[in-house]
Amino acid sequence: MTSGPALEASNLTRRFGAVTALEDVTFSIPAGQVVGLLGHNGAGKTTTIRLLNGLLSPTSGTARTLGRIPWEDGPAVRARSGVLTETPSLDERMTAREALRFWAELWNVPRDEVTRRIDELLERFDLVDRADDRVGGYSRGMRQRLALTRTLLHDPPLLFLDEPTAALDPIASIHVRDWVRTLAAGHERTILICTHNLAEAQELCDRVIILRRGRVMADGTPEQVTDAASIPIGLELEVDADHAEAALRIAAARAQGGATAAGPGTLRIEGLARDAVPPLVAELVAAGASVYRVSPEQVTLEAAYVALYGGAEGAADGEVEA
Amino acid sequence: MNWRAIRAIVLRDLMLVMRARAVFLPLVVVPVLLFVLMPVGAVIAIRAGGESLEEFRPLLEVLPPQITDALGGGSLQRQILVYLLEYQFATFFLIVPIMVCAVIAADSFAGEKERKTLEALLYSPTSDRELYLAKLLGPLAASVGVSVVSWVLYVVAVNLLAAQEVGRLVAISPLWLLILAWLGPAVGALAISVLVVVSARVRGFQEAYQLGGVIVLPVVALVVAQLAGVLVLDAWLAAALGAVVWAIAGTVLVVASRGFRRERLLRQV
Repeated sequence: MTSGPALEASNLTRRFGAVTALEDVTFSIPAGQVVGLLGHNGAGKTTTIRLLNGLLSPTSGTARTLGRIPWEDGPAVRARSGVLTETPSLDERMTAREALRFWAELWNVPRDEVTRRIDELLERFDLVDRADDRVGGYSRGMRQRLALTRTLLHDPPLLFLDEPTAALDPIASIHVRDWVRTLAAGHERTILICTHNLAEAQELCDRVIILRRGRVMADGTPEQVTDAASIPIGLELEVDADHAEAALRIAAARAQGGATAAGPGTLRIEGLARDAVPPLVAELVAAGASVYRVSPEQVTLEAAYVALYGGAEGAADGEVEA
Repeated sequence: MNWRAIRAIVLRDLMLVMRARAVFLPLVVVPVLLFVLMPVGAVIAIRAGGESLEEFRPLLEVLPPQITDALGGGSLQRQILVYLLEYQFATFFLIVPIMVCAVIAADSFAGEKERKTLEALLYSPTSDRELYLAKLLGPLAASVGVSVVSWVLYVVAVNLLAAQEVGRLVAISPLWLLILAWLGPAVGALAISVLVVVSARVRGFQEAYQLGGVIVLPVVALVVAQLAGVLVLDAWLAAALGAVVWAIAGTVLVVASRGFRRERLLRQV
């Protein structure tokens, strides 16, 4: 184990000809953290993974993966990382067991442990019954599960999961999420997840980094990112019936979306900035109202992402993936 | 060098070849055709040749003295048999390493790209050099293996069939040893080097194999030249030719290795 961060990027920039895939990206990910790398297709997520595994070298800037500079020490870095690629990258002419044996050799898994680890992973990913069938006959979900077993064969301290549940049915997705939780539970593994599934990112990740056009647009816990998005939220307030009318007037003046009575003493307020909630409550109290309940709506990461990204604009504005 | 990984990639590439009919079939059919059926047919035809064998006399007359001596005299039928089985088939034999290396290298380099299995391999803890070496060793090892099996089949078939007329064993000589262990691997390496270059520019196995097939042309030229009596592939020529071909193949492979970098390979993923 390294004592420093598991992943570190400092002003990391990568250009492909005239196209900038990644620009001045800086972050530091401590060991044991589960981080979601989010962004539209072409935002620079895959380029980041490739740089951090030494498949690419940067145009400028630097990075360290498990304490090593990946493009200088690629084999040593890759020996301790597991990467689930966006496409499963499996050979259809091999059986699952043969493929895993091959990968175990490649990752130098101790010979006396190969069979046990393969059996264990096949069992965990529910592939035992089809382990001796050729991968060509597998469904997309089975292929994805097999690719996941590959990333774990050598028990790496660092995992990169590019769209881990993209090809999976809902049940299989739940299993994979459970598996990620299990892996992350002891905080012994660092996991970087690239996903378009923002609910998944919110659920699994300690932290999210949002990339846009190769730049870091947001970096923090899902809560910090949703707060940073400053999305007007909906709010329900319960006040004493005597002050309901006055409260309605005060709230309507503060909220962009207005305020309505949702029942005796209950107000429904729309389009209020999150940081405007405490002053509103203070004003109501100052006006003599007794505030019994304040229920702000939770902002989802998805809503924050859309707000930060400026709707669908980013999808069509020339982002590239290399 | 991570030899465990290199060995694993070589064995996997060879296993994949064995499992693809379009790739594996030529590896069986061509040697059987060229080194069992063709020589057996030739021996039978020469036995039944009679007067028409006279057409070969001009060819025998223009052979260098050392080859004429090596044929060992005897009847015209015997000399034709010895020449054909000892020398002419030696040139045909070079087709084996070329064909094997071209088929397997096309499947290994271009095929991997086509099957979209390259990316996972690039994330393995191997260096660019180890990956490249593994990709070269697979076809080369297979070509030596197929060549040896083809040679054994050939030696058994022709010596069983023609022993009576020839009166000695054929195709067990320094020339054949050089072809199996020196010139054959050299032309195989040349075929691989061509396929490495071609595979970087095409999308799949078939295209790579077809384009890489041009490498057989120098061997066809050698076969024709020998049939025309222009030259004879003997042990000395095989040794010299082997050195030249190794030098060319080595140079192309070293130059091509510069293109076998993860950064470049990623463009093909």
